[in-house]
Amino acid sequence: MTYSIEVEALSVFAGTTLLMGPVSFSVAPGGTLVIMGETGAGKSLIAQAILGTLPGALRSEGRITVNGRRVDTLAATQRAAMWGHELATLPQEPWRALDPLMRAFRQVAESHRFVAGTSRAEARRETVDAFAALGLTGAEDRLPGALSGGMAQRVAFAAATAAKAPILMADEPTKGLDAARHAKVVDLLARVPASGGTLLAITHEVAVTRRLGGHVIVLREGQLVEQGPADQVLTAPADPYTRSLLHADPQFWDKAQSHPAGDIVLTAKAVDVVRGGKRLISGFDLELRQGERVALTGPSGIGKTTLLDALAGLLPPVAGSVLRARSLSAHAVQKLYQDPPAAFPTRIPLDRSLRDVARLHGSDWQVVLRTLENLGVHPSLLSRRPDEVSGGELQRISIARALSVRPKVLLADEPTSRLDPITQKETLKMLERVGAQENIAMVLVTHDRHIAEKWADRVIQLA
Amino acid sequence: MSNQTDMMIEAIAPTTSRRLPVSRLVGFALLALLAVAAIGGPDLIGKDPAKQSLLDTLQGPSAEHPLGTDNLGRDMTARLLSGAQLSLSLAFLSVITAGLPGTLLGVVAAWFGGWTDRLLGAFADAVLALPGLLLVLMLAAISPGSWWALYAGISLTLWVDYFRYTRQRARIVLAEPSVEASRLLGLGPWLLIRRHLIPEIGPGLLTIAAFGAATAVTAVAALGFVSVGVRPPTAEWGVMMTELLPYWREAPFLILQPVGCLVLTVLALHLSVGGLRRS
Repeated sequence: MTYSIEVEALSVFAGTTLLMGPVSFSVAPGGTLVIMGETGAGKSLIAQAILGTLPGALRSEGRITVNGRRVDTLAATQRAAMWGHELATLPQEPWRALDPLMRAFRQVAESHRFVAGTSRAEARRETVDAFAALGLTGAEDRLPGALSGGMAQRVAFAAATAAKAPILMADEPTKGLDAARHAKVVDLLARVPASGGTLLAITHEVAVTRRLGGHVIVLREGQLVEQGPADQVLTAPADPYTRSLLHADPQFWDKAQSHPAGDIVLTAKAVDVVRGGKRLISGFDLELRQGERVALTGPSGIGKTTLLDALAGLLPPVAGSVLRARSLSAHAVQKLYQDPPAAFPTRIPLDRSLRDVARLHGSDWQVVLRTLENLGVHPSLLSRRPDEVSGGELQRISIARALSVRPKVLLADEPTSRLDPITQKETLKMLERVGAQENIAMVLVTHDRHIAEKWADRVIQLA
Repeated sequence: MSNQTDMMIEAIAPTTSRRLPVSRLVGFALLALLAVAAIGGPDLIGKDPAKQSLLDTLQGPSAEHPLGTDNLGRDMTARLLSGAQLSLSLAFLSVITAGLPGTLLGVVAAWFGGWTDRLLGAFADAVLALPGLLLVLMLAAISPGSWWALYAGISLTLWVDYFRYTRQRARIVLAEPSVEASRLLGLGPWLLIRRHLIPEIGPGLLTIAAFGAATAVTAVAALGFVSVGVRPPTAEWGVMMTELLPYWREAPFLILQPVGCLVLTVLALHLSVGGLRRS
C-alpha cells in the first residue's frame, strides 16, 4: 500500500539540540492524522519539516516520503515545486495569510489560474463553483478585512486547495474562532479525507480531534508520548499526559468555589452599545460586587468585547450609564486581552513595561516579582520581549501587570482562547485564586459554555 | 513550555542577532571619514582654498598638491574639504530643522486627529504640491547665492517626509490595543510616546534622515552646478564641477573629484541605513 505521507524517525534539531522527535507515522489517502499537544510542544515543526519550510537555524533528520517520493533529500526548489500541487497548507490565522488589498474572488481565481495552471475562463468557473460550494456567495468582492474570521478561513481554504493538492496540512485551524465557527471549519477539513485526500491537522483542542477522528499523535515538549486511533487515544489514553490533556477540557473541570460577595463596585444601568453603526446590545444591566466572578457568553459578533469596553470606560455607552463605586481609584478597572502579545509594547523588554506600571502606582518591585513567581513565571523571562515568550506565559505576565495596579475590577476578554487546554485551565484557576485573595470582581468574556458554568459564580447569556 | 521555546530561541538567536551587515559598517566608516573632513575643513591640511596661483593651473597630483590644482591654480584638496564642510553642515542642520518639526507635527496630527490632522495634512500637501527644487529656487531668488536661503529652502521641503511618515505610522501604533492597555494602566502621554511610538518609528525616521541628508547634499550641488546656488569663488562641489567642466579633456581627473565626493557622500548615507540592500 502506498501512503500519502510516510515519516520515519523524524527529528528536528537546532544545532545539536534535539527540539522534536523522533516520531514515525504514516497516513494513507482518505486518512486523517491529528497532531495534539500543548503550545510550544513542537507540533508545527512536523508540518514545517514535511513542507521543507523549517527556519534556517533548524534541520531535520529521518525519512519523509510524500506520495511514494522521498522528499527530505530533495533540493529546496524541488520541494517548493510540490507546494499547492501535492501539499497544500492552511496557515494559522488565515486572514493574515490573505492579501489585504485583493478581493476574495481574485485571490482564489489567482490560485486556479497560476498554481493549477488553468485558462482564465476555467479559473473563473472553478472559483465560482468553489465560492458556491463553500457558502461564500456574496463575498466575492470583499477585501479580506471585510470578511469574518470564518469566511476568511474558507477563502484561504479555497485558495490553498485550488490546485487540488491531495494532501492538506492545517496548523491550528480553529485558533481564535468561536464555537459556532469551530464546527464549520472542522466540517470543511473533514471534506478532505471524505473526498479521498489526506488531512494532517495540528491542534491543541480536544474537541477538534474528536470530530476529525483518524490517527492521533500526542506530543509533549517535542517528545512523542502516545499515538493510535482517535477512538482509543481519546477514550482510553495510555499516557498520563494525554489523560491530563483530555481532562483539561473545560467540561471536566470542577465547579469553582464561590466567595461571599462584598460591596457593589460597578453598576451598569440600561446600557446600549454600538459598534460600526450597529446597535449590538441594548438595556444591559449589571451590578458587580467585590470578589464576584461573572461570565458573559454569547455567539461571536454579539458585542461581548464592545460591552466589556463600555464597562472598562473605554467606550462611552450610547444610552444608559456605567457607574463606578466612589471608593475606586482612576485605574481600579483593568482589562485582560484575548491576544496577549497585542497588549504589550512590542519592542520593549517585559521588565521595562512592568516596572513602568509598578512605578506609576507605587507598587514595590519585589512584590511584583513575588506575584510573578506565584503565577509560575520565572523572572528571567522578563528580560525578553513580548514576542519571545509563549502566549500562556505572556498572559500570566499581563495578569501580574494588571495586579500591580491593585485593581478592584478585572475585565477579561477571552484571555485563554488561544491557549492549550492545560495552560487554559491553570490560567483561569489562577485568576480565580487571585480574585479571592485580593477581593477583585471579575468579568470573563468567553464563548465556551463549559468554562462559563464551571468558573463563574454567575453567567450572563447575551443573545 | 518552556524548555522548548528556550531552546528554540537559543537556536535561532545566532542568525537573528543584531550584528550589523558589512555594507552598513562600510557606510558608517565612510560617514565618519566625511565627518572628519567636514569638521576639519581646509584647516586639516593648512591650505587656503581661495588662494590662486596662475602659474600652476590644472596640475596633476604632486607632493605640494596631492590632488592637483584647478583652472586658477587653487589647491584641489583644500577646495574639496571646503566643499565638504559646506554641503555636510547644511545637510546635517537641515536634518535637524526638517526632522524635529516634521516628526513633532506628525505625532500631533496622529494624536489629536480631526481638524488638527486635516489642517496639518493640507499644509503638508500644499508644500508637496511644489517641486522641491522649485521651492529652494524661489527662496534662492530672494537672496541670491546665500547659504541661508539654500538651507531654509531645503529644510522647508524636507520636513514633509518626516511629517507624513510619522503621522502614518503613529496613527497605526496609537490605535493598537497595546496603547489602550497602557492607557488603562495609567501611562501618560510621555510614556506612551517613549514606550510605544519611538521604538516603532525611530528606525524609519533614521532612514528618512539619511535619505533627506543625501537629497540635501545633491540639491546643493545641483543648484551650484546650474549657478543658482552658492556662487563662486566659494568652493562648493557643484560650483567646482561647473568650473572644471570646460577642462574635462585636458584634466579629466579634476572634474572627477567633486563628482566622486558627491557620489561617495550619497552612497555612504544610503549604505549606513541599509538602503541599498535587497530585501
